[in-house]
Amino acid sequence: MSTILVQVIVGGLLLGAVYALFSSGLTLIWGMMNIVNFAHGDFVMLGMYVAFVIWTLFGAGPMLGVPVAALLLATLGIVVYFGLIRSIMKGPMLAQILGTFGLALLLRYAAFWWFGANFLSLPENIVGGTFDIFGIRIQASRLLAGVVALLVTGGLHILLTRTSLGSKMLAVAEDSTAAQLMGIRPDTMQAIAWAIAAGVTGIAGALIATFFYIVPTVGETLGIVAFVTVSLGGFGSVPGALVAGLLIGVIESLSAYWIGAVYKDIVVYSLFLSFLWFRPQGLMGKS
Amino acid sequence: MRRWLWPSVALALVIAYPLLFSTPFQQRLGALVLLYAIAASAWNIVGGYAGQVSVGHVVFFGCGAYAAMGAYSHFALSPLVGIPIGIVVSVAIAAVVGVPTLRLSGHYFSMATIAVAELVRLIVTNTDYLGAGVGLSGPTVPRNLFDLSFISALPYYYLFLAILVTTLGITWWMTNSRMGFYLRAIRDSERAARSLGAPASRTKLYAFMLSAGLTSVAGALYAMMFGFVDPESGLGILISVKMLIMAALGGAGLLFGPLVGAAILVPLEEISNNVLGGKGAGLTFVLYGAIIVLIARFQPGGILTPIMRLWSRRGKAPEIPVATGASHAP
Amino acid sequence: MKFKHIIGLLGAAAISVGLAGHASAQQTIKIGAVFPLSGNAASAGNHAKAAIETAVEIINNAHPELGNFPLAKDAGLAGLGGAKVEVVYADNQGSPATGQNQTLRLITEEKVVALTGAYQSGITLTASAIAEKYGIPFVNGESVAANLTERGFKWFFRVTPVASDFAKIYVDFLKDMKAGGAKIDTVALVHDNTEYGTSVASVVTSVFKDSGLATPLDVAYAANATDVQSQVLQLKEKKPDVVIMVTYTSDAILYSKTMQALDYKPPMIIADDSGYSDPSFIKAVGKISQGVFNRSSWSVGPKGSPTALIAEMYKKNSGDEMDDTAARQMQGFFVLCEAINRAGSTDPAKIQAALKATDLKPDQLMIGYKGVKFDDKGQNVLAAGVIIQLQDGENYVAVWPKGSAEKPPVMPYKGW
Repeated sequence: MSTILVQVIVGGLLLGAVYALFSSGLTLIWGMMNIVNFAHGDFVMLGMYVAFVIWTLFGAGPMLGVPVAALLLATLGIVVYFGLIRSIMKGPMLAQILGTFGLALLLRYAAFWWFGANFLSLPENIVGGTFDIFGIRIQASRLLAGVVALLVTGGLHILLTRTSLGSKMLAVAEDSTAAQLMGIRPDTMQAIAWAIAAGVTGIAGALIATFFYIVPTVGETLGIVAFVTVSLGGFGSVPGALVAGLLIGVIESLSAYWIGAVYKDIVVYSLFLSFLWFRPQGLMGKS
Repeated sequence: MRRWLWPSVALALVIAYPLLFSTPFQQRLGALVLLYAIAASAWNIVGGYAGQVSVGHVVFFGCGAYAAMGAYSHFALSPLVGIPIGIVVSVAIAAVVGVPTLRLSGHYFSMATIAVAELVRLIVTNTDYLGAGVGLSGPTVPRNLFDLSFISALPYYYLFLAILVTTLGITWWMTNSRMGFYLRAIRDSERAARSLGAPASRTKLYAFMLSAGLTSVAGALYAMMFGFVDPESGLGILISVKMLIMAALGGAGLLFGPLVGAAILVPLEEISNNVLGGKGAGLTFVLYGAIIVLIARFQPGGILTPIMRLWSRRGKAPEIPVATGASHAP
Repeated sequence: MKFKHIIGLLGAAAISVGLAGHASAQQTIKIGAVFPLSGNAASAGNHAKAAIETAVEIINNAHPELGNFPLAKDAGLAGLGGAKVEVVYADNQGSPATGQNQTLRLITEEKVVALTGAYQSGITLTASAIAEKYGIPFVNGESVAANLTERGFKWFFRVTPVASDFAKIYVDFLKDMKAGGAKIDTVALVHDNTEYGTSVASVVTSVFKDSGLATPLDVAYAANATDVQSQVLQLKEKKPDVVIMVTYTSDAILYSKTMQALDYKPPMIIADDSGYSDPSFIKAVGKISQGVFNRSSWSVGPKGSPTALIAEMYKKNSGDEMDDTAARQMQGFFVLCEAINRAGSTDPAKIQAALKATDLKPDQLMIGYKGVKFDDKGQNVLAAGVIIQLQDGENYVAVWPKGSAEKPPVMPYKGW
């Protein structure tokens, strides 16, 4: 294998890890509450702006930006849950799309109003430079995002499968009335789920900001990838999102390299659709 | 008789609107409301009545728009010729796409339709015959009446009104037919409907195809009015979302839901843009987004739902089964 | 008595005719401007708005320091008795439909006498179509799609150079660089598949073929990419001597970041304006894109020159440095106002006639065109451009052609 091809695959894996990272919050909400959050991409966008503000105010990188973004977005998640989601999740699926789409516009253009339309960017060396391993170049910022993606996926998986909080959350997801009878408060659990999901999305945004541009409409660019990643992985499956993200990243990179960059998304969507034909519940979803 | 008083008044107002509000912009606003109402009503057949939330309807919208503009720019024909072509292509695509995707439940169906729409947009963007990224345009200076290129929005208004009435008529006829009965049963519980012998797959597919054909008419009309289509304006996912939120906002699965939704959202979008857009601070969408959020928060079943309930009670008619779109995915 | 009456009537009629032709000093001339003030291209749209606000400030107030520059010396439009110009802005939201709706509103509700806009070629197309139907002049300063001037319109005028002009600039520049010893045997053309990228790329490719230069290697990609690593690796593998970049700001930033991450430095990068001219690009990644060449018609010029003064005013308005796109929009607006002033009337037909008769010389322009003169299709035949270079990573300087160069071009591409 030529060095270039290895580089293409490594690049695809790192990209895929990022896709997985910003999809994990979406899949959590989707699986727990059966809600499609159309504002998800805009949560990522807000995380990016938090990282930017932290850098302009304190000159600090993701060491400070990531926790602050996680905290702020988690708070926003709770506010959104009690302000909007709690009342629309009992309604039809359409009301959820309506509500979260409205929220997406609101967040996107609130950021626009506050920060303006200009493209912003963090300095390239904010996480350290680029490693060169046998001629394969790995950007420290992308590697960090990849490592965090693995940690977040593992953490969420353990949370949901090994802790009592996780079992309570899953119990609510399974049957909220039954859970209530067992003394679990669905409201609290769902608010916690929103806080975790939004917080994780904030982390993703703050990390992506270290190697991507920041603009109010960036959520649109990233949002649709998250949707495909989550449905390919299976709604609600955090490990599924990781595998799906990595898969999409590598397929995108290879098809862009071999066939041409204009065709990479055509390849991804075609494969996704034909995959749904054989396995409608996604890679790791429950049938 | 009193039961029909208000509907008659409403109909008279719709017919008289462009004469009461006669500036060119107001007339165009009226025409736009009707245009989006056609698209959203077409979507309503599959999204509201059948409960299959398609986010890929822009594909059919685009078929109509591209067929109309293609007829003009490739064959120098009237864009009107594109309408039947668009319908045929849309119905064919709906059949091909519908068979595998309608098996999918709830969100998976929505996601699959998004993927189909994006796929079509990407393919068209790379197809030179369809204008690639540049798009196709229609006649600017009309050669004759059949080019449907008018300065005033008045002819568009009544043309769109006629087509909207036809669309609603077809929808009404469908809901009162055996198919409508099956669809309601499927939406409430597909498993129960199947066990009672309703041909669920076939009924859903027919609804999808009917909806696709009508949506493509809306697309063709759109392209004729604006004289242009490109991948973003003819196949962008945002147009699907618009159809969906208009139907949902008014009341999905209700005959007049999409019209009410369009009558609220289109003026809201245009007028807030008139007032706030020129400032360049993005406040148009802050307002627009906030109002959508509020409606979803306080009236998740759509604006028409409580009104319908009230109306049917006053008329002492049997309670209308209030349909509010797809139920939760299993 | 009767005779007197008639005389009086005639006199009143004469006065009113005179008044109609000559606007009073209190009168304001309303012009519509449709730009993408929200949506994906909002950054460009808001810069355009700032540029036109600056132009209005120059026109409506006395600015003798700008010398020969038309409309600057006196306050308001002298040809209309010092009437002030008022611009009504509208947001096209990046949608051809909204662009057309807003143009209609500006014409019929705001009663604008002329229009400018609308950045994206597709929106300029639908917006100018409605202006054509109403018979209102539409002057465009920045949209480059070829079909805009191929529609047989009578009310559409375009001041900016178009793709064929750009291609010619590249050919001449590359030939000069070759004569100076640079290697230009292989060229790669990286472009997005939007209307802008596609149309520029196809024209550049055919002009290169016709001029005996190498046929460029085509690297197309979808705009607003999430990742461009594969494209950069393709370039790294093919090792072209020259890379031409036709991209918007978002992707331009991503390409620069990715080239640095993958340690790829072609000997020469020429950018086709757009993204690489955006001040956000320079702020974000200028320091890692040192030495990139760029096609531009705008150049700040020496301190104290009219262009430098205009740039200063613009910066005060927008907070950003003047870039080529904003400058071309501003120039387009000046051309329109100059024609209205010459027409001495707000009658659209008279403005149209004045636009047709426009003949501006280079010293009457703020931008490096050889002049402004419209052909039958409404295209400015004297539009031209220069090559600028981001030598220090902060400011572009003109490096070609020799006549307008501030500094000699520096090779090879330095990067970071």
